[in-house]
Amino acid sequence: MDPQPEPVYYICGDCGMEIPLKPNDVIQCRECGYRILYKKRTRRIVQYEAR
Amino acid sequence: MGVAQDSSADPPKNNKQKSNDGKQIPHSAIDKEFLAAPIKSATDKFALLPEFLKVRGLVKQHLDSFNYFVNTGIKKIVRANDRIVSGVDPSIYLRFKDISIGEPSLTMDGVTEKIAPHTCRLSDMTYSAPIKVDVEYIQGSHDQKTRVEKKGVVIGRMPIMLRSCSCTLYGKTESELAKLGECPLDPGGYFIIKGNEKVLLMQEQLSKNRIIIDMDKKGNLNASVTSSSERIKSKTIIQMENQKIYLMLNQFVKKIPIMVVMKAMGMESDQEVVQMVGRDPRYAALLMPSIEDCAKEGIHKQEQALAYLETKVKRFSFAGASSENDGRVMTVLQDVFLANVEVCQDNFRPKCIYVAVMLRRIMDAILNKDAMDDKDYVGNKRIELSGQLISLLFEDLFKTMIAEVKKAVDNILTKPSRSSRFDFAQCIIKDSITHGLERTLSTGNFNIKRFKMDSKGMTQVLARLSFIGCLGHMTRIKPQFEKTRKVSGPRALQPSQWGMLCPCDTPEGEPCGLIKNLALMTHVTTDEEESPLISLCYCLGVEGLEVLSGEELHTPYSFLVLFNGNILGKHRKPQHFAAAMRKLRRAGKIGEFVSVFVNEKQHCVYIASDGGRVCRPLVIADKGISRVKEHHMLELKAGVRTFDDFLSDGLIEYLDVNEENNSLIALYEEEATTETTHIEIEPLTLLGVIAGLIPYPHHNQSPRNTYQCAMGKQAMGNIAYNQASGLLLHRMDSLLYLLVYPQRPLLTTKTIELVGYDKLGAGQNATVAVMSYSGYDIEDAIVMNKASLDRGFGRCIHMKSRYCAVNQKYDNNTQDRILRPNRDGFDSGPMRVLDDDGLAAPGEIIRRNDILINKQVPIVTRGQFKSALNDSEFKSVPQRYDGPQGESCVVDKVALCSDKHNNLCFKFLIRHTRRPEARDCFFSSRHGQKGVCGTIVQQEDFPFSERGICPDLIMNPHGFPSRMTVGKMIELLGGKSGVSCGRFHYGSAFGEPGGHADKVEAISETLVRMGFSYDGKDFIYSGCITGCPLQAYIFMGPIYYQKLKHMVLDKMHARGSGPRVSLTRQPTEGKARNGGLRVGEMERDCLIAYGASMLLYERLMISSDPFEVQVCRVCGLLGYYNHKLKTGICSSCKNGDNISTMKLPYACKLLIQELQSMNIVPRLKLAEA
Repeated sequence: MDPQPEPVYYICGDCGMEIPLKPNDVIQCRECGYRILYKKRTRRIVQYEAR
Repeated sequence: MGVAQDSSADPPKNNKQKSNDGKQIPHSAIDKEFLAAPIKSATDKFALLPEFLKVRGLVKQHLDSFNYFVNTGIKKIVRANDRIVSGVDPSIYLRFKDISIGEPSLTMDGVTEKIAPHTCRLSDMTYSAPIKVDVEYIQGSHDQKTRVEKKGVVIGRMPIMLRSCSCTLYGKTESELAKLGECPLDPGGYFIIKGNEKVLLMQEQLSKNRIIIDMDKKGNLNASVTSSSERIKSKTIIQMENQKIYLMLNQFVKKIPIMVVMKAMGMESDQEVVQMVGRDPRYAALLMPSIEDCAKEGIHKQEQALAYLETKVKRFSFAGASSENDGRVMTVLQDVFLANVEVCQDNFRPKCIYVAVMLRRIMDAILNKDAMDDKDYVGNKRIELSGQLISLLFEDLFKTMIAEVKKAVDNILTKPSRSSRFDFAQCIIKDSITHGLERTLSTGNFNIKRFKMDSKGMTQVLARLSFIGCLGHMTRIKPQFEKTRKVSGPRALQPSQWGMLCPCDTPEGEPCGLIKNLALMTHVTTDEEESPLISLCYCLGVEGLEVLSGEELHTPYSFLVLFNGNILGKHRKPQHFAAAMRKLRRAGKIGEFVSVFVNEKQHCVYIASDGGRVCRPLVIADKGISRVKEHHMLELKAGVRTFDDFLSDGLIEYLDVNEENNSLIALYEEEATTETTHIEIEPLTLLGVIAGLIPYPHHNQSPRNTYQCAMGKQAMGNIAYNQASGLLLHRMDSLLYLLVYPQRPLLTTKTIELVGYDKLGAGQNATVAVMSYSGYDIEDAIVMNKASLDRGFGRCIHMKSRYCAVNQKYDNNTQDRILRPNRDGFDSGPMRVLDDDGLAAPGEIIRRNDILINKQVPIVTRGQFKSALNDSEFKSVPQRYDGPQGESCVVDKVALCSDKHNNLCFKFLIRHTRRPEARDCFFSSRHGQKGVCGTIVQQEDFPFSERGICPDLIMNPHGFPSRMTVGKMIELLGGKSGVSCGRFHYGSAFGEPGGHADKVEAISETLVRMGFSYDGKDFIYSGCITGCPLQAYIFMGPIYYQKLKHMVLDKMHARGSGPRVSLTRQPTEGKARNGGLRVGEMERDCLIAYGASMLLYERLMISSDPFEVQVCRVCGLLGYYNHKLKTGICSSCKNGDNISTMKLPYACKLLIQELQSMNIVPRLKLAEA
């Protein structure tokens, strides 16, 4: 395990703030205290098939 | 006749008027014009309907009953059991002073915060509120005792019904609801238990505390009363067998002659009994054998009767001393026998009179068969609502809690040396109430021993396949008792359910007719305070029982007055009395749901204020003239008058099924005669919510409407406003089907607008050509246009959510971990969708077996405490996606939350867009005509009209003649005229006379005006090959089509070898368990008949569960194989001389052994093969 895991950003379900979280952090928004966070969309380029 | 004239004069005017409003919002505009029209004689009362639903709502019965429980019921329970007194020291006690339910909240890490229901749905919590009590109790030890008061002690948590008065959503506006992530159209009325939406279904049962006369299997007449008082529930049956009348009560070991019971209750004079039953000599004659029977036994006095009963009463098996059983007869007679009739100060007279009335009813039934009660009559039914069920549950848990606390306190007090200070209030804080409520609601198993209640499946997960299915779930009524299979009575349509229960909406198959649905305007009553009503009855001239002799009880022209099943007394002018009561109700002096019913046959006036009666509002008419006048409706329109004003002004009243028998209800105002007492508000309200979606249901054959009711719930469409979109707070149900581009039906009904189906529709308007095309349209199959599918017709999104919990803390302080993915190793393939945090990222395309979470679990999870682990001490347990093979899905959303044990939880929402494929999916119109998509044809090959209109789908005309769904044809016509003139047409049930459904005449006129043929047929060119015109004109136009949830992709399944059940070693069952496909009895029969024995052998044995056994040829029992001696040995013969080895299905061996365990010896006889 690398010593300094990079924080990944999540979005708060209530206020929409971006929150950095590291492993073992509490799942809670730092701004509003909301307890449901969402993962951000992938940064990779995705190509969908439209049929 | 008046109606006919009216309608013939109307159409042109009506039509013009309607085409005018096309430009405006249709619904409100029509009403204005209608009300302005001066010639219209009848008042259009339709506007009352939306007003009613605004006040009462569709699920009001659930909310009302829960509110009643929260505000009144729970307090009553606590008041009845408000003391915990220590058995050791009676001066130490705790008293509950008050109880209340707080706001829904969540306590986490000691912090309490308010919660919204949607948060609970997303993070799998229970939406509950604290139950707070105010207590006073004695604190201290032997010498110094102080009385302490405490307020707001939380004794547990109560799951809260959504939109009830204690819910956070109560009284919120649309925008406030949206902020909380809630859909404003959602009806509420359900609970959220551990993230699941649970509905407590309404339970239908026979009414309590009423005399029901019926015939049992042997042809004996029974008068039964299911008594239910606050303390006890019992069933008393008085039976007539061989001319003699007996009492049956489960406290007595055998049938008791009724006269003995009367004597035991102090009615020693036979004459008085005869007088009480009635003076008619026929009654006396019928009573004679019973009197003689009693006299033969030598019972004349009360003491003798009691002594006789003493020998017949059931003994407590555990009570050794006879003292426990002494005087038990008296208690049984007082408390169990007819428990609903209270005995005050040993006065048994009311009970005697009650028995006399029961006897009289039996004799009436003998003399006149009509007097028998119909158990299926809706007036004899009560509907138990969620509030009542929860209140039963709570009462049980509360009493259990009190008993537990008492025990615990006694334990503490008996301890010789108490180290800590004793605090009573600490003892009542327990989890038993919380867990009990939660468990019962989530499993649906109501097992309440205290009330002898044990029923399963009381709660169901709210169906969220479509918005309308969800609504329909809330109006469903379940029968409480086991369905008696063969009897058709309970399943048949009852005339008395008119307007109360929907005649169309019932499932097919086994539960047909047993599961019912409420109609649109039905209301189910809740309990009402009794004592003021009783005293009112006495004030209005009811002569009480105390002042009446047995003789006076049944004098002609005087009626008995029964209040909630209890006899109050008699009244000499029953009609006057009933009229007075009704007048008071209309004036709002007594509750609006109190019913007054004069039964001329039984010479009784029934007054009911109990809960669970179904009732509905009706317009009051005086001598056939409606009380609701034009100006009232104008005031309603202007907003000065509400539905409640109509009630309080005595223009409208609620009638229950019984009281409907005292009234003459006209369907339309024009039809009213001078005898008419009430007028229906709208005939369409006799249908329920789901049947209300069908346009022109009155033109269809009735089973088609029933089929549509079943299918409407399976249609894909919008679920709710918070279903799934780009927004943050959307639903994460485990399975969701959504339609792409859902539309609102072109041919609407009034019900559709009222329930919001036009906002959350489940279907699309497809242009349908009714013609034969290719061979792929037989058996209702549909030929679809490829270009329409390309444009998005019938496309759906299939959303599946995967729930994973990780990071459990183990005993040795280790925990799971999620690793950063290995981007360029040998296993990087399935890890390609993972983000830096080891979770699949939204937006990524995901295939079967791709990894969702790169999770690792410590190998050793028990034993010693460990602080840090290195990589070798973890094993990899990645969560893989197990979707269908070969389909590519997309990770739509990933939510993180923590559960109540502070574990990390993930929810992955995986989206899969599906377009209709040939033979893959079902489509259905709103008339119970479903069909599979037979083939998909290029638009180039499709037929087209002169105007260039090309249908979206082609339906085979053979679907019509046998189904007789004329409504579908009218829908097509109406839809076509609607599209061409730009106005939504209506097809409400029975709406033509009231102007809520467009008439075919008018539609045809519009069609002609728009340049179509009046009959809806078009001139069509053949699309395939030639391009010549078709020989016939083709019936073509738009019909609203629903896509049903059944799709091949979800059902497709096959396997070679796979998992087996460990008990029988046979392949598992079902797709979810990767099960095998069974060769069942019937398939087996075919193979036997054909003689394919080797195939049979292979299927049932070799490929199923072969097993080698040792069989003893002598005794025929199974032996075993001794591995040391390398021989088979029979354990009963104790040798291995006559052992044969053979193969057997393992299930067969299991059967043999199971039979042996039951003392049956199956022996195998072997022969040479």
